[in-house]
Amino acid sequence: MQDRLHDIVRKLLGEGTIEYFIGYGAGSEPHRVVPCFVTSDHEVERLVWGPLCLQNLSKYVLQAKDLEGKAGVLVKGCDTRAIVELLKQHQIEREEVVVIGVACQGQVDPRTLEEVLGVPMEQVQGVEDAGDQFVVTIGEDERTVAKEQVLLGKCLYCRHPSAFEYDFTLGEIVPFSIDAGESEFAMVEELERLSVEERRAFWQKQFARCIRCNACREVCYACYCKECIFDRKMPRWLDKPPLLSENEIYHLIRAVHLAGRCIDCRECERVCPMNLPLSRLYKKVQKDIAELFDYEAGIELDEVPPLVSFELDDQDPFM
Amino acid sequence: MERKKLQKSDLSRWLDRIAQEHELIGPSEDDGVIRFQPVESSAEIAVEFANSLIPPKSLFFPAVESLFSFHKRGKDIELEATEPLDRDRVVFGIRNCDVQSLSLLDYVFGQDLEDVYYQERRARTALIALACPTPPRSSCFCTTFGIDPLSSDGSDVLLTDVGDVYLVDVVTEKGEGLVSLAEDLFPGLTDDEARQLQPRPVEMKKVDISQLREKVEALWEDEYWHKMSLPCLGCGICTYVCPTCHCFDIVDVGSTLEGERYRCWDSCMYSDFALMASGENPRPTKRERIRNRYFHKFSTFPSRYGSGYACVGCARCLIHCPGGMEITEVIKDILAKESISE
Repeated sequence: MQDRLHDIVRKLLGEGTIEYFIGYGAGSEPHRVVPCFVTSDHEVERLVWGPLCLQNLSKYVLQAKDLEGKAGVLVKGCDTRAIVELLKQHQIEREEVVVIGVACQGQVDPRTLEEVLGVPMEQVQGVEDAGDQFVVTIGEDERTVAKEQVLLGKCLYCRHPSAFEYDFTLGEIVPFSIDAGESEFAMVEELERLSVEERRAFWQKQFARCIRCNACREVCYACYCKECIFDRKMPRWLDKPPLLSENEIYHLIRAVHLAGRCIDCRECERVCPMNLPLSRLYKKVQKDIAELFDYEAGIELDEVPPLVSFELDDQDPFM
Repeated sequence: MERKKLQKSDLSRWLDRIAQEHELIGPSEDDGVIRFQPVESSAEIAVEFANSLIPPKSLFFPAVESLFSFHKRGKDIELEATEPLDRDRVVFGIRNCDVQSLSLLDYVFGQDLEDVYYQERRARTALIALACPTPPRSSCFCTTFGIDPLSSDGSDVLLTDVGDVYLVDVVTEKGEGLVSLAEDLFPGLTDDEARQLQPRPVEMKKVDISQLREKVEALWEDEYWHKMSLPCLGCGICTYVCPTCHCFDIVDVGSTLEGERYRCWDSCMYSDFALMASGENPRPTKRERIRNRYFHKFSTFPSRYGSGYACVGCARCLIHCPGGMEITEVIKDILAKESISE
């Protein structure tokens, strides 16, 4: 697959179809795979594909608007949902970007892998996909782990492993699924069963830990506002100090703004340096949107997002 | 400097003794994140750790702190200063990179203007450093910046793990005071032990950075900053986990009648960091913001304070950057300047 990726990118760059390509590249250590911007033929070899290609690169397509020339991007199935939403939300035009889709077979959660293997990621020399397991190279040893033990949380419930909006694909579109054994909303239902006070205590403990580094916002494909409400100076809606009162508002506003747009890529949770369980918050918003409007973001290009339309029979249980 | 030893099994006894007299702070895990925070007893302290996520600079220059509160009564305004500390503190487990970062922050908060909040915290805090494990974290590169991970320079006591015991270097009077709280736990070394119990050398990749400042200064207008900044998302992680970054904002929270004045961390990676009231932003894109950050580390800071570089090689930024930006790669790129400009 990697060879095919190199071939396609080389061709696109060579023909002048794209000016640069956004893919995954090897970091300075084997366990680190980083976003990689390739502009010339000799850099193409840096591009990699494997089970540590975690980032949703669709976010970077947004900055293509500010750069000269067309961009190409590599997307997994989950990332495709961001491309679909960016098109629906008129943030990009389809002809502005060349999409290379890949049939993902699941991505490794480094934090979980460390726990399961009892080995820090820095000792991991490589992770290879082997059907229903991963083969992890640690020094001279190879260890196998079952996928369901170490996959990213979102992969356990993945319904769109392969890209579904693309110009090129890397190899065959192979189905992939894991039986997670419980509903994808189980983590929300668990919280919903708590009393209001308990739920409030749960989230306050988490929000109190937030350092407001803004990584959750910056990594979010849907955060493209020219001026974010949190950065607004006049009037100031949110004070800068990371006090609980402000952090709480920050996260709740973000959650509400993502209603009907969150595609469950869980990048916010993955990049959070403080390990805030943000996917629970966003899963709740997805659940509400699914229940109230029978809608899932980032799937159908021509389906109208519920919060930008109005129907007389819309539910209004809060009125 | 006096060298003693401490049985590993006695560490908790010593720390608990300290906790009776002072506020004890140590690396402690909370929801999977290691931070330096006040603990009730040694049981909450993580002894086996690489380094904390949030650097211990937060103990001296907190992410958010109240400076004073204000109340307006009629025409009078009352101000009440916030006391930075209730009691003397002892920090256990600080690594030498972070100790050295405090020496750099001392310039910022003490050279031209004395920051009383920072100064009081520094004066009333003792540092028990813990020499780095062997091997260290693979990303670490403190030796590149001339830091010895086994050095006691800047700390009050240094503990070095040499198997069943810690070697204990008592560096300052403050350190002597801490050791004297449980004198019987700290026997001196016999001549044999002094020869045999030696710290294991810490191997780390090292880059020659003698040309770094000169090279980075020649790069100001280079195209390099454009392409290298593309993966940056513009979050503040690198600056918040950096032990030497020290930018802050001052914010009044409350109403015009009463409230508090806070100081909180700010980040030069934020798009509005350099935004002026006129609407002008001298660092309008990531290119200018990132260039500024590296310039600050490798040129502005050393030239302003006559100090070394404002990086201690702790590797936190490269480990946690969601865009995968690696400062070690940036340094290599800068040093290979001729090949960049081609």
